[in-house]
Amino acid sequence: MAFTATSTGSPRKPPPRSALWVLAALFAAGANADPRLLPPEQAFHFSARALDDKTLEARFEVTDGYYLYREKLKFALDPGMAELAVPLPAGKVKEDPFFGKVETYRGDVVVRLPLPTPAAGKSVVLVADSQGCADAGVCYPLTRQKVTVAVPEPGTGPGPVVEAVPRKKYWFN
Amino acid sequence: MTKTTTRWALLAGAALIAVAAGVYVGGARVDSNPSAQANAALAGLALPDAAGKEQRLDQWRGKVLVVNFWATWCAPCREEMPEFIKAQTEYGPKGLQFVGIAVDQPDKVEQFAKEIGLNYPALVGGFGAMELSKTLGNNLMALPFTIVLDRNGGIVHTQLGNLKPDKLQSLVKQLL
Repeated sequence: MAFTATSTGSPRKPPPRSALWVLAALFAAGANADPRLLPPEQAFHFSARALDDKTLEARFEVTDGYYLYREKLKFALDPGMAELAVPLPAGKVKEDPFFGKVETYRGDVVVRLPLPTPAAGKSVVLVADSQGCADAGVCYPLTRQKVTVAVPEPGTGPGPVVEAVPRKKYWFN
Repeated sequence: MTKTTTRWALLAGAALIAVAAGVYVGGARVDSNPSAQANAALAGLALPDAAGKEQRLDQWRGKVLVVNFWATWCAPCREEMPEFIKAQTEYGPKGLQFVGIAVDQPDKVEQFAKEIGLNYPALVGGFGAMELSKTLGNNLMALPFTIVLDRNGGIVHTQLGNLKPDKLQSLVKQLL
């Protein structure tokens, strides 16, 4: 911040205390909830691409301070919604007093999904269900996200990454 | 006023207006002023309990109501319930009434209620219940979400995330 002299020649003064009290009151007013809670499609950012003509790769980028439940992660193709039952990566094991052993994911979660029927040169709609919580102490309901993925012809390499929603940059993130 | 004081007063004033207008500063805010419509929807609420019997919220008119949206799959929700059970025992005779609305399967709710020794009603709500909580300020439909009503049915506090014991205490003292 450039330090400029005022017309009176005296240096810049700090903000008056009364303004600081107003700002403090404003923060307190919002304090019955964490105002920085992300919407689930941002906290659990979903994207996918075709690795080749037979395989999709799904990715969740879980924001710091949030986690997903491994057990609630499900994938299906629209239409039909037949579940793509695949081995999921191991999560972090926690001992929950009510549910016993619970596995959660943080950071990036990458899952390979073999296509059940040939779809080379076509588009498929991948549906991902997930359920997670924030360390701040709230849980989101089951969230469904969808992406339309172009499946390449055999031998032409992976297709482009498609996001469910664009990643938003927040001032606090 | 000096130039600097004016500048800070204008900044604070603008911020105050923004907050009052309920502006999103990115992410989610809990709207602390639910509409009269939402208030009415809450007053007329009727949901089944875990045994399937319909329970109307207005049967507890005249009590200080703590309506807590929760689910067995929500760890933070489960964690605050022992505190609620204690408060129900202590302040129930004075007119405090907890009502849980579980966004969950009835058999899971029943099982958990038994295990934890739940001493207040556990109603079972579905998507409609979550939609109602949204109109009451729960923009992301997250859990736990708690509303406190005074004896006249007016909403005096909404809470996303845990309702801390000291906050509960101060509300109880204020309203009972």
